Amino acid sequence: MTSAELALRNVRKSFRDYAVYFMTLTFGICIFYVFNSIGSQQAVMDLSSSQASTMKMLDRLIGDFSLFISVILCFLIIYANGFLVKRRKKEFGLYLTLGMERRQVSRILVLETVFMGLISLAAGLLLGIALSQGMSLVTAALLGVKIDAFRFVFAFGTVAKTIVYFSAAFALTLFFNVLKVGRQQLIDLIYAGRRNETNRAPRPFLAALIFTLAVFCLAASYFMLLGDLLGGASLNIIIALGAAGTFLFFFALSGFLMQAARRKSLYLKNLNMFVLRQLSSKINTAYVSMTIVCLMLFISICTLSSGLGIARAVAAELRFSAPYDATLVMSATGESGEDYVNHAPVDILAAARDKGVDVSSFAGVSKAAVFYDAEGLVPPFTGRNGEKTLLYLLSLSDYNAALAMQGLPLLSLGANEYAVNFGATNADWSKILTQYADTGGSLTLGGRELRTNAALLRHHVLEVRTHLNLDMILVVPDDTVSGRQAKKEVLFINYPQSGLEYEQLCLGALSGFTVTTADGAELSGSVETRIQVNDYAANSTATIAYLAIYMGVVFLVASATVLAIGQLSEASDNCHRYSLLHKLGADDKMLNGALFTQILIYFGAPLLLALVHSVAGISAAGKIMTRIGGMNILGTSILAALFIILIYGGYFLATYWSGRNMIKTAYDSRRR
Amino acid sequence: MATILQAKNMEKYYGNKNNLTKALDGISFSVEAGEFLGVMGASGSGKTTLLNCVSTIDSLTAGQILIDDRDITTMNQKMLARFRREKLGFIFQDFNLLDTLTAFENIALALTILKKPTKTIESRVSEVAAVLGITDVLDKYPYQMSGGQRQRVASARAIVTQPALILADEPTGALDSKSARALLESFQNLVRTRGATILMVTHDAFSASYCHRIIFIRDGRLFQELVRGSESRREFFDKIIEVVSLLGGDGNDLR
Repeated sequence: MTSAELALRNVRKSFRDYAVYFMTLTFGICIFYVFNSIGSQQAVMDLSSSQASTMKMLDRLIGDFSLFISVILCFLIIYANGFLVKRRKKEFGLYLTLGMERRQVSRILVLETVFMGLISLAAGLLLGIALSQGMSLVTAALLGVKIDAFRFVFAFGTVAKTIVYFSAAFALTLFFNVLKVGRQQLIDLIYAGRRNETNRAPRPFLAALIFTLAVFCLAASYFMLLGDLLGGASLNIIIALGAAGTFLFFFALSGFLMQAARRKSLYLKNLNMFVLRQLSSKINTAYVSMTIVCLMLFISICTLSSGLGIARAVAAELRFSAPYDATLVMSATGESGEDYVNHAPVDILAAARDKGVDVSSFAGVSKAAVFYDAEGLVPPFTGRNGEKTLLYLLSLSDYNAALAMQGLPLLSLGANEYAVNFGATNADWSKILTQYADTGGSLTLGGRELRTNAALLRHHVLEVRTHLNLDMILVVPDDTVSGRQAKKEVLFINYPQSGLEYEQLCLGALSGFTVTTADGAELSGSVETRIQVNDYAANSTATIAYLAIYMGVVFLVASATVLAIGQLSEASDNCHRYSLLHKLGADDKMLNGALFTQILIYFGAPLLLALVHSVAGISAAGKIMTRIGGMNILGTSILAALFIILIYGGYFLATYWSGRNMIKTAYDSRRR
Repeated sequence: MATILQAKNMEKYYGNKNNLTKALDGISFSVEAGEFLGVMGASGSGKTTLLNCVSTIDSLTAGQILIDDRDITTMNQKMLARFRREKLGFIFQDFNLLDTLTAFENIALALTILKKPTKTIESRVSEVAAVLGITDVLDKYPYQMSGGQRQRVASARAIVTQPALILADEPTGALDSKSARALLESFQNLVRTRGATILMVTHDAFSASYCHRIIFIRDGRLFQELVRGSESRREFFDKIIEVVSLLGGDGNDLR
């Protein structure tokens, strides 16, 4: 029999052992293809130019990410393959005792890996191509685009890329594992798996000490992350502390597990003793893999929940800042490039008329407003993170005109009152403003003293904008602004009815619009429309959501696979043990219970710690997000939880079921 | 004395109509309480099938097996599991100890499966360990023990639950002659002092000579029966050899 035949036979014969490895590879290749083929999916969509450029950017970003992801997948393949080789050491030992040369044994291993690689590459690509058709629909939904007609997308370039990347990964795998087998002593190969791992779990006292250290590390990293104790610590230190804490936590846990072994009342009950020994016999592998799994789960949970959260927050914020169909903002740029230079106020509508622009051709309603300079009237406001507001004065009638166009209730002011309007609504800013308003905020304008109070705080957005608006607008009685310098003029526009033709008319008429003021300043205009903002919102949501899901799913699959491989690779040892228990009279319920507990501990322990980590991680992300308007953590966390239940839970059940089936076949095979 | 095991007309067929193997072809026998019964036969004579059927691991094609007056052929899986843990003790040729558990834990396992109160477990384990002379290996793992020690640990696991019937499948098969003798003597001891009932399958005449009674099987049928009575072990051994040579098969070249 040639090596090739032997290898092919081995793959076929030990397909059960290979199943997990095959699943990992296929999954990895499939995900890799689906996300990398995003660029090609636009062929089926009717995209606007901004959407097309978003797709291009997304494609590039995913390309960059893919390098990182493929490194992770590569490690996963090496890990999975390593387990496989470990399982079969005895077989290789047998070949050697039968007089086969090491080179021949290595060749068998190489051929097996190549066969598996080819099969899973084909399967992964087929699955990926099938899934990417569905992905087009998701992309279209996220971008808010209609698909003209269903067309089959086949990304040839991505197929080539996938093949190149994964071939490299296989080559690396081969290098590592062939090396591993080639260097082993024959005796170690033959007796592989006969011994329990040397127990390196710490003794109880030491375990308690390590546990304290672990908790300390974790607490320190949480506090640093949330910036409450040591604020400003670098992210690297936080990550290092968190990782070390996680490792020490599981290390200490293994010690406690051995401690529990001494407690007879618990230990000598049902199959507890057996389950504990199952864990402890692999304890060294267990705590290392639990640490890795925990950290990967943490990354996955954080990217899924905050990534989607950020995407949605961005979208919400942006939709919120499109209160009209369009705004035209006129401002002067100074000689050294500074924005919003003071100038003599202009009536834009009149200026437009002079220039022959017919605003009424695209605007059902339009109002011009002048935002006056407010320098030195009130102290500058600074946010918690050092961000500065831009101060403007706006006359009450201009302000109310804007509100009227938005359909909002109008504001009325006493002769000695002013109101404060600030677009952002988060808690930090509300506190700062309320504190200010409660002091009365006295200012002198037009020769009289004006005061404000908390009832005069407003949070309306006055312009169409794609970025966060930190304009602080002091709304004052009309007669107090005369004679002041203007900072910018704004034209609010609502189309007669929604429709792309008005959008085009508006953009055609107003882009490149300039005005020269009485004092010689050159004002240039910029137009922002609601349609642009919504496009932008949808695009950024899609970009962030994609990357988050890509990363999140890869890490989730990776972590679940590490566990599943660990469990299933012990399957044949377990089969032997469980069928002995069966012979000794343990019934199905006891056996399944023991198996379930065993797998539950492996899957559950890392998940629990990862959840704790994630609470800290997500709150930190939330804190950052509040700066730009807060995010809905609950909704996206539920979404993330769904992903985890679906993928991680699916893996858990699959591992349990296949484990149970293997055991059942093992002890039922005699009965027939 | 009470009858512990009563097998009536046991039949076990493998294969299909064209190629039928009659592993058991109408065997009947019984075991009394406190008896040490041997089952002998050449390879392929059906003795392992017989043991598997009696031990509820395999099912009969036809016939009846009563253990402690209960018919095991009509029980479902769950009842069988319960029956095994309450009534039977197993000793296997390859010991079948769990390599992740120490000797103490391997023995205690049989009791925890029975859900015995945890307080009594330790004393019962050390009691049987003393009987079998394995007290000083209780903290060792199987791979740290010799074959003889492992088989005695397996025996301790089988008797610690005080089963109605102990089933031993070639228990000396993997042992050297000294360890084999020590094991067989401890079996005798168990029968004498603790009133254990043992059914031992073997193809080794020397091991069989420790039994009270031996049934011989050929081609799935009962071939002959020998009772030791008041004979010395030496005399009994010679008689066994005679029957074995009559049996044919690979029994011939045993000794």
